[in-house]
Amino acid sequence: MLKNILNSYLIFYSPRRFAKLIAYMLQASEYDLKAYLKWFWSTQDFSKVQVRKDLNLTRIARINKTFLALICEIQILVGLGLMILYFTGHLMAGWGYGLGLIIIYPVLWSQLIVVPIFFARLLIIYPKQKRAINRSAQIFKNFNGLKIAIVGSYGKTSMKELLDAVLRTKFKVASTAGNQNVATSHAVFANKLQGNEEILIIEFGEGQPGDVAKFSKTVLPDRAIITGLSPAHLDKYKTLNKAAEDIFSVDHYVKHNKILVNAESSYIKPYCKKAYQLYDRSGTLGWKVGAVQVLNNGLKFELSKKQQTLKIKSNLLGRHQIGPISAVIALALELGLEPEPILGALKTFKPYQHRMEPYQLNGAYIIDDTYNGNIEGIKAGCDLLRELKANRKIYITPGLVDQGPENEAVHLRIGSYIADAQPDIVILMQNSVTNFIQKGLEKAHFKGKVEIIDDPLFFYNNLKEIVAKGDLVLMQNDWPDNYR
Amino acid sequence: MKRVAVIFGGQSTEHDVSIVTALGSVIRPLELTKLYQIEPIYISKDGTWYCDDRLKDIAVYQSGEIDDILTKLKPISLDFTNGLAIIKSSPFAGRKTYLKIDLVFPAMHGTLGEDGSLMGLLDMANVPYVGCGLRASVLAMDKILSKEVALNHDIPVTKYVATTKFELELKPDEIIKNINTMLKFPLFVKPAHLGSSIGISRVKDNQELTNALEVAAHFDQNILIEEEVANLIEVTLPIIGNEELTPGLLERPLNHEASFFDFETKYMGGSKKGKGSKSGSQGYSEIPAKLPKELTDLALNLGLKVYQTFDLKGIARVDMLIDSKKSKVYFNEINPLPGSLYSHNFNQAGISNVELVKKLVNYAQENYKYLKSLNRTFNSNYLRQR
Repeated sequence: MLKNILNSYLIFYSPRRFAKLIAYMLQASEYDLKAYLKWFWSTQDFSKVQVRKDLNLTRIARINKTFLALICEIQILVGLGLMILYFTGHLMAGWGYGLGLIIIYPVLWSQLIVVPIFFARLLIIYPKQKRAINRSAQIFKNFNGLKIAIVGSYGKTSMKELLDAVLRTKFKVASTAGNQNVATSHAVFANKLQGNEEILIIEFGEGQPGDVAKFSKTVLPDRAIITGLSPAHLDKYKTLNKAAEDIFSVDHYVKHNKILVNAESSYIKPYCKKAYQLYDRSGTLGWKVGAVQVLNNGLKFELSKKQQTLKIKSNLLGRHQIGPISAVIALALELGLEPEPILGALKTFKPYQHRMEPYQLNGAYIIDDTYNGNIEGIKAGCDLLRELKANRKIYITPGLVDQGPENEAVHLRIGSYIADAQPDIVILMQNSVTNFIQKGLEKAHFKGKVEIIDDPLFFYNNLKEIVAKGDLVLMQNDWPDNYR
Repeated sequence: MKRVAVIFGGQSTEHDVSIVTALGSVIRPLELTKLYQIEPIYISKDGTWYCDDRLKDIAVYQSGEIDDILTKLKPISLDFTNGLAIIKSSPFAGRKTYLKIDLVFPAMHGTLGEDGSLMGLLDMANVPYVGCGLRASVLAMDKILSKEVALNHDIPVTKYVATTKFELELKPDEIIKNINTMLKFPLFVKPAHLGSSIGISRVKDNQELTNALEVAAHFDQNILIEEEVANLIEVTLPIIGNEELTPGLLERPLNHEASFFDFETKYMGGSKKGKGSKSGSQGYSEIPAKLPKELTDLALNLGLKVYQTFDLKGIARVDMLIDSKKSKVYFNEINPLPGSLYSHNFNQAGISNVELVKKLVNYAQENYKYLKSLNRTFNSNYLRQR
């Protein structure tokens, strides 16, 4: 105990370690100063703050780290100087002032560091970003090809990657990278365009009210795909309705019949307008789904319209992928692609990293869905777990973050989804929502074993020790260091 | 929480293999169960016993830091009062810490560990322990005795001759002549008690035989000379259990780089029997062995018969030789503590590393309970008679 407390605060009094820690906390909070300060004051053991990742030495991180280390070292030296003055009889209060300066430096600079960051953002970064965004708005406005916006609480990156892979077989396509989906990343994307692109696929993230409307205004998309709606980022949106209003604000800029909406998303129906085109696991745009086979390592199904039947084989996992795959096929056919290259692209398309990504470990099937951070995705994963056959099924999750006032209700529901999937073992990462999931499991009369893990990193690193051939393991979501 | 002592290292040629088994396949999975408090007991090459949490980290052995740690650590001593306890000396004012051990998990290979010596000590200490008992370990680790026991129980073995270092020194020509009369080349010459293929030679003529006998006699008092099996398929079967047995999968080593595997081939260049790295054993093995069902069943049944005949407990691995043309399976040898617990094989059979160690601990407790139910003392009035 004493050792832990000492370890926790020793970091504070090693200027370089302290500087690295604060730089890391700022970076992990994405320089959201409110989130950083909240994290700082709620942390009890600073030796355990930096567990999952290390500081990525970007230019800003390096500046913060160097500045903090330097200023703290100067303060220590000044403190020592004052103490020497006391001992040499030159300054009576030197001892007290000196000691005070040395003791106070970590708390002082952990707070004062937000001041230069605040002003740097206000005076330098924001104006620079604004200029870049304005430039990108002009680029998007002048673009003559097709612009497709991908919007939704979840499933955006997978949809964007899938659509890109298919359309690329005929057109010159450019898509926003990874999950970079905010105005500044759109601006970077626009600046990098070659000028010969025929189709742009742009992912719209939603972090706070007005985001999607703002991105739509800049990009002016011709088409939009709304991949789903679920309680996400409710710390900022507060209610699901507010999140929905933002997501659906894309329809102020896109013709309603050019918007494809995932009708499978249970929250989405009240917001759907008549002219929207819908897709789900039964089909889309007149195409009907049949002969579905859900496998450990992919999907097989048929898509039929009038006399035409397409046999689809995909590496994507879970019945919930049928809707998005069908939507991509239907859209690609509408844009003039032939079935053969579409099916070829689907066949080779691999799940995006950590999104229902299957791999084998010690003979067991692991489904890595650790980037899944929404209740609909949790449900889809649980449905898949229930559907697949295995000697032993193991379900692992820490729960979801940013669920705002819905936090308890969402995690109770997660408990019931997990119970429905009937895993043999449920492994929960100890945190603030564990109790709610456990309650949900109890309410749903879950009969299997529940284990609580207090060191997730150790657990994930040793996953191979607990699995064997015949096991099916589903891992959903993973919490970064700044969530407890 | 029960306190489990994992004993590893030891004065054996398989010292390093033992460290890999203990740290990779025993301690980590035991810790993950969250059911036990682990005390790592490391026996250095000079036979000194140490216990410290730092000894659980493979990096200290790989980096050579172990030597520094050992010079700073005080050796532990054992106490047999009411079971087993270890006594650690604290650096503060000679204070001693007394730690009662509830169960021992031996992770020792070879001499003074796997050969029954450690089991004898643990029997004396009256503490439950994982794996085979003293008698089974002694028999299993003696290639000559185990063949003789097998023969007495109608378990097929290859033709063999046994000799000693003493006999070789006294009448070498007679021994060679006897071997020539009894057996046909090519032959294998093996020290009777060593594992990991140490001191084993394959010989094709008398000159090679003479050299091989000299090599084997360098390692052991007792030497086994046996005929090679023609059309050979080597297989091995790990088994766990006491009375109710759970076999792993029949495994076939697939290394064709050498006609047999010496220590280097097994543990440095790629494993035949998996005492080295798991990847090695997995990479060079076929699990399950792709054999005709008839041969697979024969080998499985023979493996289980050997396990029961030798009264093996907890875990052991039975190695067998198959003459593929004659469809005949021979018992070769027993490994009473397979390297890395042969977890790669059990993983393929659907048993995870954590489950494996949990099962082994349960078997140890079950066996201890059974042994405790036997009456070991008898009140006689012999001393009171005049």
